[in-house]
This record gives sequence, C-alpha cells and structure tokens, in this order.
Amino acid sequence: MTDTETAAVRTDGVWKIFHQEAEEVQAVRDVSLTVGRGEFTALAGPSGSGKTTLLNLIGGLTRPSEGRVEVAGRDVTAMSNRDVAQLRLDQVGFVFQAYNLLPVLTALENAEFPMLLQGVPADERRARVRELFGRTGMTGLEDRRPGKLSGGQQQRVAVVRAVASRPALVLADEPTANLDSAASAALLDVMADLNRELGVTFVFATHDARVMERSRRLVRMVDGRIDSDETRT
Amino acid sequence: MPSPSTPRRPMHARVLVLLAMRNLRRHMRRTVLTASAMIVGGALLIFTFAVADGSHEQWIDSGVRLGEGHVTIERPEFRVSRRIEDRLPAEVRRAAEAAFASPEIAPRVVATTAKLAVTGLASSAAGARPAQIAAVDPTAEAGFSPIDDRLIEGRYLAPDDRLAAYVGAELVDSLDLRLGSRFVVQAQDAEREIAGQLLRVVGIFRTGVPEVDQTLVHIPLATADEWLGSAGDVTNVGVVLDTSAATAGVAARVESALDGPISRGDARVLGWREANPALAAAVAIDDFGNYLTQGFIFTIIAFGIVNTVLMSVLHRRREFGVLRALGLTPGQTGTIVLIEGLTLTAASGFIGVGLGLAITWHFFGDGLDISALMDEMTFSGVVIEPIIQPLMRTARLVQVLLFILFIGAAASVYPALRAARLDVTEAMKFDR
Ligand SMILES: Nc1ncnc2c1ncn2[C@@H]1O[C@H](COP(=O)(O)OP(=O)(O)O)[C@@H](O)[C@H]1O
Ligand SMILES: [Mg+2]
Repeated sequence: MTDTETAAVRTDGVWKIFHQEAEEVQAVRDVSLTVGRGEFTALAGPSGSGKTTLLNLIGGLTRPSEGRVEVAGRDVTAMSNRDVAQLRLDQVGFVFQAYNLLPVLTALENAEFPMLLQGVPADERRARVRELFGRTGMTGLEDRRPGKLSGGQQQRVAVVRAVASRPALVLADEPTANLDSAASAALLDVMADLNRELGVTFVFATHDARVMERSRRLVRMVDGRIDSDETRT
Repeated sequence: MPSPSTPRRPMHARVLVLLAMRNLRRHMRRTVLTASAMIVGGALLIFTFAVADGSHEQWIDSGVRLGEGHVTIERPEFRVSRRIEDRLPAEVRRAAEAAFASPEIAPRVVATTAKLAVTGLASSAAGARPAQIAAVDPTAEAGFSPIDDRLIEGRYLAPDDRLAAYVGAELVDSLDLRLGSRFVVQAQDAEREIAGQLLRVVGIFRTGVPEVDQTLVHIPLATADEWLGSAGDVTNVGVVLDTSAATAGVAARVESALDGPISRGDARVLGWREANPALAAAVAIDDFGNYLTQGFIFTIIAFGIVNTVLMSVLHRRREFGVLRALGLTPGQTGTIVLIEGLTLTAASGFIGVGLGLAITWHFFGDGLDISALMDEMTFSGVVIEPIIQPLMRTARLVQVLLFILFIGAAASVYPALRAARLDVTEAMKFDR
C-alpha cells in the first residue's frame, strides 16, 4: 500500500462531546467521512454546526469522544500526543481564519518554518518557498514581517507554509472569513491552482458562499451531523 | 507502510532559540526593564560576596595567627586539658614539620609555628590571675603571629631572651606591673608537679580582644624547657596558609603524612574551623545573612522575570496555538518559553556579574575602607581590619553563575508550563 492509494482522511463514526458544566454539547455526531487525495472539499454549514471541531479532530488537535480518525492511512486515535504532533508536522497543513503567522519571522521564514522542523536542507527549503511564492504572487515580499503584509497576503503565506512541507492534506478553517471579496477571490484562486497543478488536497470549513461555489465537493453539516455530501463535475 | 511510532526527528534547537531571541527583541522595553533589574542584582551580588569573602578571609587570617594556624597538629586530649603532659611527641613534630616542607604543601605556606601552650597562674604582689602561657620561638612567632605588632611598650621577645615575658596590657594592669617588673608564673610541669618561674616584663601589647589582653603571656621556648622540663617539646605545630581555601587540602595531606601517630592516638590534625569554632560560626552567620539578603533581592527579581515571561506567554496564546498546529509538542512550546526566560536571566545576570567584578576591582581593588563605618571592632578573638580587600574565588563565581541560572530557570518554569498546557483549540478560537 503506497501513500497515494490511501485516502488523505478517513473518519469512522466520530463523535465529539463537550461537557460544559452540567450541559453536554454534541459538537460532532457520528461523522464518517472519507477525503481522497487531490480533493478540493468544502465543509459548509451554519455557525456552531461542528465544522471547526471536525477539522480539529482530523488534525489531531482534539481527540474524538468516540470513533476513529485516520490521516494518510494512520490511526490518529491510537497515537501518542507526540506522534500526533509529528504526524501534524509531516502530513497536515493548517490555515486558520487569521493570525496564522509568527510575527517575529519574515514571510519567507514563516513559510519555511515547518520544513525547518522537518530538517529539510536550506537550499531545498528556499527553492520550494520561492516556487510557491511565485505561484501565489508573493515574490518580492519574502523579507516582510506579517505586520507589513495585507490580510490577503498573510493568508497566502499561511497557505504556502501549509503546502510547502508536502502534507497529505491542508485543513483550512474559514480561510477567507477575514478578507474582503477581492482578497478572498485571489486566495481561492491560489488554492485552486495549487490543488489543480500540484494535487494538494484541501479541506475547508466555510460558510462563505464563494468558497462553496469553488469547491468540487460540498459536505454540508447541520448540528454536528453530515446533512448532505455532493461532488460536482 | 509507516511504522506505528515514527521516532521524532532531532528537534532543531536553533529554531526554538531563534524564536525565543526574536520574541525577546520584540518587547525591547519590557526586556530591557527586567534585564536591568537583573544586571543591577548580579553586580550587587558580586560586590556583596567579594567584600564579604574578603573580610572573612581577613577575620580568618587574623584569627588563625592569634591561634594555632589554618592547620594545627596537637595531641587529641590537648584541646580540652591544655596540660603539658598532652604535648606532642618530638617525632610527631618532626614529621609534621617535614610535611609542611614537602613540595605539595610548601608553596601554600606563609608561616609556621611550634609552641608550648599551657594554662597557669600569673602572680605578683598585687594578686594572682589565670594566664595562657605560650612558649614560643621568638623569631618564628614574630612572623606567624600579629601579636608582636600590637606592642604598646617595650619590645617583643628576642632570640637570646631568658626570663623575658611579653604580656597583655590588661594582665599587666591587674597585676600592677610595668615594663621591667618581675612576676611569677606557675603551672604543672612535665613531672606533674607545680613549678614556678620568675619572669620580667620586656614588652606590653594590646590586641583589643579582651580575652587575649587579659590572659596571654608569651615567653621563650628555652625558658619553658627549664621551667617545665619539657625538653624542647611543644603542644602545637601550626601553619598559616596563603588562603583559607587551602585548609582542607593541606589538612588531608598532613593527616596522611601523620598516618601512624594519628592511628596510635598521638596526634590529630585540626583545620581552623575545628580549632576555632567561634570564628567559623561568625563567618557562617555572616554568610547566612548575606544569603538571606541576596535570596530576598533575587526573589523579587525572579518575580519580575516571571511577570515579564508570563505576560509574553499570555499575549502570545494564538502564536503558541499556531506552533502546536504546525506540529510542535507541548514540551517544545514550553521549551521556547524556558529558553526566553533563561536567556533573559542568564544574559543580563552574567552582564551584571561582569559589571560587578569590574566595578568592585576598579574602585576597590586596593581595599575598601570601612573605618568610617566602625570603631575598632573585635569579636571571636579577631580584630576586624578597617580596610577590606575584596576577594572572588572561582568556587564563589561558579556558585553565583549557577544561582543566576537557577533563578532564571525557576522563574521561567511556571510560564513555560502555562505555554505547554495551552489548549490549542481554545487558543485558535475566533469570535463568531
Ligand atoms: N471547547 C468547547 N467546549 C464546549 N463546547 C464547544 C467547544 N468547542 C466547540 N463547542 C461547541 O460545539 C459546537 C460546534 O462548534 P464549532 O465546531 O466551533 O462549529 P463551527 O465551526 O461550525 O461554527 C458549538 O455549539 C460550540 O459551542
Ligand atoms: Mg468554526
């Protein structure tokens, strides 16, 4: 079994229940979802429907109350925290809504940070970042600190960072929520290009109609459950 | 097929250090403020201990010269009995003096002494007083003891003196003596008989230490031989070293040289702490006071560090969340904080130490005059010198540096734990 044959993600009957004082919140309910390599999938649904929680479960930031999560063929549920961290470093890229970058590092340093941790040699790191900065229209901004970049540029650096370490998938939680429509469209173009040309697997959580439109598979969540799952051609 | 547990790649410590350094630089004002407290604290720490250790060294030197040296050899019973029958066998004295002259010990030796010390009674027409009689080789003792410099009238003993006595000023007064007066000393002799000896006052001294000035009488060793029938024997052989820090090492070497006599119960080797417990206690109490003060100062500084580092952790929850999402373990995020706190503390603390050394030796290298702060002070049989020569031993320096590192680590542990325990999903939440 090679990596490309396994699914990027497989969840099997996953539940996440939070206990808040006496109350029980079922944030994710019995979700079984498989995302293949190279997909461009959106998790849509109203606020509070469990999108973020599901992404956190997939990325191993939260442990499921029940069920099983597999990333790149490996059972995250059975792993130690240390191994999950390593799996995240190697196989999962995260893009959050905002504040993705480390303010003390330049755009370039931010983008190569995971590769630094992975021990990728310097010239290889630079080559990958340069190539991705070229694709995402970030060339020339390498030495800027995040504070000197626009919101859209910061998100692009975050996407480059997520992609550059060659993970099995990129999890993006409302990546366009803090951007104006032009910047959102530009970011979506960037991600769609990377998906199409490099085969990067993306899973978004979003309630942005433009993101849903651009996705090729749309998984709708309601009250922690998968309500519908449609793939478009 | 991936193995179930991939061994973690060696973490690039450089990356963590880089992040920590950049973060310290980001909050320059806060960093500088905390750092300056630490710099001042480090400098003060060095100054305090340099002056304290320097004055302790003077107390010790003065104390051991009035007594029997940094290291002294005597019979085990002598310390309590102070009787002539508990004097050192001649061959033990020879072995001890040979040990002092050995190449391992000789370079440390500043002066040696061999004396016969007995408790007796000094009497004149005016009455009788208890006396500590030290029979000495006048030339050797003049180099060993500071007592010849404390002369107020007459002179110290000379090599060919016979019936001469060098007497403490208060004993002179209480026996109503003056320079040239005759008086009698009585003590048990080698045959356990009470023997008397007529002496003449050739010199009067005042050390400022009452117990010394009231009781001490120096007489020539040759006079004691005739008086007590001690045949040239002594009760103590002692050595003054160039530094008190050499005491334990020299004592151990002398002990191994005197292996035989010690196992037969004919000799024992004492360091100055054992021979002069009151002096040892005075040094320890003074040290303790300094430890307490410095501990207090550094506790306050440590809270400043905790505050600085913790603030930066609490303001960076989102950043730590991102780092964890990228694949750092809780331990690694905690390590970043630990590095920040330790670097801040160590760098500023070490700068403070350097500054403290520079200031102390630049301004007070020739001695710190504290005479304005005190009248002549004595205690534990020691005269305190009004000029303190600062002293910094390697061991003390290492202790100070380790202490600073410890403070840095201790102050960073809590913030580091806070960073390590961060709930990533909580930290990455956005208000909807
Ligand atoms: N740490 C938590 N403790 C308690 N309840 C939580 C926690 N995280 C999320 N929830 C709840 O779980 C539900 C799903 O939240 P979330 O996954 O953030 O939804 P979405 O991202 O779709 O808006 C919500 O009701 C939310 O209040
Ligand atoms: Mg959400």
